[in-house]
Amino acid sequence: MWKAVRTLTSRATTSQPRLRDVVIIGGGPAGLSLLAALKSSRVTRDLQCTLVEGGSLASVQNFASNPPEEYTNRVVSLTPKTIEFMQEKIGNWAYINEERVKVYDSIVAYDSQDSDSRISFDASAIGTGTLAAMCENINIQASLWERIQELNMTSDVPAEIMDNVKVEKIQSPVEFSASEALDELPDLLEVDPTDGMSELDWPIIHLSNGESLQARLLVGADGYNSPARKFAGIQSRGWMYDRFGVVATIKLCYEDYRSIGWQRFLTTGPLAILPLRDDNATIVWSSTPELSQLLLKVDPEIFPHLVNAAMTLEEVDLNYIYKLLEVDPSDKSVLGEIEWRLSKIKLLELDSKYPLPVRELVEGSRARFPLKMSHADTYVAPRVALIGDAAHTIHPLAGQGLNMGQTDVAHLMAALEKGAKRGMDVGSTLVLEEYYANAWPGNHVLLGVCDKLHKIFSTDFTPLVYLRGFGMKTLNSLGVVKDLMIKLVSGN
Amino acid sequence: MESGKLHYKDVNSTFNVDKPYKSRSKPNYPGHVPLNAFEKLLMMAGSSIGSYLHPERNEFIVGLGESTAFTPVLRRLQRQMLSDPVGRQILRERPRITSESLDLDYLRLLPKNTIGSAYIQWLDREGVSPDTRVPVRYIDDEELAYIYQRYRECHDFYHAITGLPIIIEGEIAVKVLEFTNIGIPMLGLGGLFAPLRLRPKQRERLYGIYYPWAFKSGLNSKPLINVYWEKILEQDINEFRRDMGIEQPPDLRELRRKQKKLPEPERENAN
Ligand SMILES: Cc1cc2nc3c(=O)[nH]c(=O)nc-3n(C[C@H](O)[C@H](O)[C@H](O)COP(=O)(O)OP(=O)(O)OC[C@H]3O[C@@H](n4cnc5c(N)ncnc54)[C@H](O)[C@@H]3O)c2cc1C
Repeated sequence: MWKAVRTLTSRATTSQPRLRDVVIIGGGPAGLSLLAALKSSRVTRDLQCTLVEGGSLASVQNFASNPPEEYTNRVVSLTPKTIEFMQEKIGNWAYINEERVKVYDSIVAYDSQDSDSRISFDASAIGTGTLAAMCENINIQASLWERIQELNMTSDVPAEIMDNVKVEKIQSPVEFSASEALDELPDLLEVDPTDGMSELDWPIIHLSNGESLQARLLVGADGYNSPARKFAGIQSRGWMYDRFGVVATIKLCYEDYRSIGWQRFLTTGPLAILPLRDDNATIVWSSTPELSQLLLKVDPEIFPHLVNAAMTLEEVDLNYIYKLLEVDPSDKSVLGEIEWRLSKIKLLELDSKYPLPVRELVEGSRARFPLKMSHADTYVAPRVALIGDAAHTIHPLAGQGLNMGQTDVAHLMAALEKGAKRGMDVGSTLVLEEYYANAWPGNHVLLGVCDKLHKIFSTDFTPLVYLRGFGMKTLNSLGVVKDLMIKLVSGN
Repeated sequence: MESGKLHYKDVNSTFNVDKPYKSRSKPNYPGHVPLNAFEKLLMMAGSSIGSYLHPERNEFIVGLGESTAFTPVLRRLQRQMLSDPVGRQILRERPRITSESLDLDYLRLLPKNTIGSAYIQWLDREGVSPDTRVPVRYIDDEELAYIYQRYRECHDFYHAITGLPIIIEGEIAVKVLEFTNIGIPMLGLGGLFAPLRLRPKQRERLYGIYYPWAFKSGLNSKPLINVYWEKILEQDINEFRRDMGIEQPPDLRELRRKQKKLPEPERENAN
């Protein structure tokens, strides 16, 4: 009975999919950015666009009118280039809640094995006054949402956003194009030859609400597990780091007037404290699976001290403290241990070389994410383009993931605008190839640099420690190299 | 007012953090004598030569120790201590072993099988006292200086639990044990070079019996630096050796006596 109904609905939907120019899968920062950019551009704004998001966007919609009191734990560092793109090209920056954005002008990175190996970047080197800005993911998404609403009010062809709707299956009316991908993920890619009734080669997207869409151009902004990438049979290469990024929102003792992002390279992975407004800050603590688990369950009163310890003390002390906490995550004796070891560091040094002490953990803000590096062999296939994490995932140590997604959007938009201006089919490979050619190499370099940095710093093998200490010191004094690195981090 | 300086607090002094210790005049702990790199090198060279020519003279051994116990080695010792609850306790409480801190008369009353008793017996037999140890003066970091001081003050306990006398062979054997156990290179150097000046018989005993013993015990035992001797004076010494994984070596004085009584021809053959 149930089966009969299902075949019936599926027949009903596949027989008449709604035709769209662009279907974007994923309502993350990348997907919403592309939608807003398409609708902002004079050249592409009349394309019929639909964005499908599997999760709920309710919190994104409510953010403008009713922002949460505390900072959410997904915060990213935006480069000046990304901000400029959002201001000038997408136009969503006007809707950013700027009171929740923190501009910072320098980064100090130092080594856990030798705190004198340090490197500092500051904005004066790139002449902008701003190195980067910390902004919540949801703030970005909400501003994009508002921007799209604004554009829809005056548009003849409003953008369509469906949330709580999952893409269940993507199908190609042309048999051969999906054959490669078939062995990868059979359930999503099932090719049903009897369904290939359309003469179009546009992919058909089956949604969880029973509807189906057929897209001139399908954009996968659908994150690491990208169903769109699998549909297109694009290989993604990379590896899991066997590390998790633990994030949390914290309160410092008082507001740090210095606006510095701090990063310490521990052998378990880098720990960063990045400034937010007032006494708020956010941390990203890359750690081994075991440590990340421990960090999530450590008593909330101990956690701030543990962060202080990890930013300052030696690894031998940290390992000792972790051991105590593994036995009992609420073992208050570690507070005494931390205080004692901190007392060995000269006050002057604590003030000048290390971040302000953390006072408090914002309740419920701890979470962890598996870290991986991956890069798709290509970003395009006939009628398919991948952007954001669907195309690449990167170690968060340089805060590049979301920014790379913005570069993707910029390059894809340029290619689509060019194609549209020439009256070409925006889903054709001819148009899309240019996007891939312009976006892929830059991303590849960034992925490589961050991957190497991760590997160099996660060792305590002594010769390498000395070597990297030497590297940090000389990097810091070698103006040219330093400027290059700053430009990389700040996206210039 | 010497050197033309006025006696008011320099408001910038708190900011001049980059060059805190330029001059010799600022010791980091009482008794500290800051040396520059060149002086350290000189001291190391001088004491190496001195301790080779005069192994019996304490000041050369001490100087060699302090100058060769360069920072990385002491840092390793520090890491060993910081990885262990008792090691950390010692570093926190900073106990000192002196004839004042230890009640020697009380030790004499302890049962013969205790560590305290073995210690006092050994001191009495060798005719030394806990105060024979010279204070550390040339190590810059105050915690590292304490660690080195602690190591020195515990040295007699290593003799006591192994029963090795302070005559040159015993000293070398204990140093090798210390080297393999906690890794201070002076002990390694002393162990390697000192035998050059030994008589063949002595060397043979070292290579045949005491080196193998010291390597085996040193590598298999838990770090001796993390023993809070003051707190285990009443503990049974055999139980302690078992817990730590240290075997007792053959009695050196006993061995020497026996070997001296050996018949003449065999001694000639041995040479
Ligand atoms: C710990 C950590 C710290 C980071 N710090 C930074 C930083 O400082 N700076 C920076 O630039 N980046 C940072 N990043 C990376 C950044 O968060 C990501 O790169 C960015 O969020 C990716 O956005 P996206 O839109 O491409 O993908 P996502 O945000 O993953 O969005 C994908 C969306 O697709 C939807 N979706 C997936 N499958 C389907 C389906 N079948 N049907 C419907 N919808 C679907 C998902 O629900 C999801 O909403 C960090 C990442 C981590 C883990």
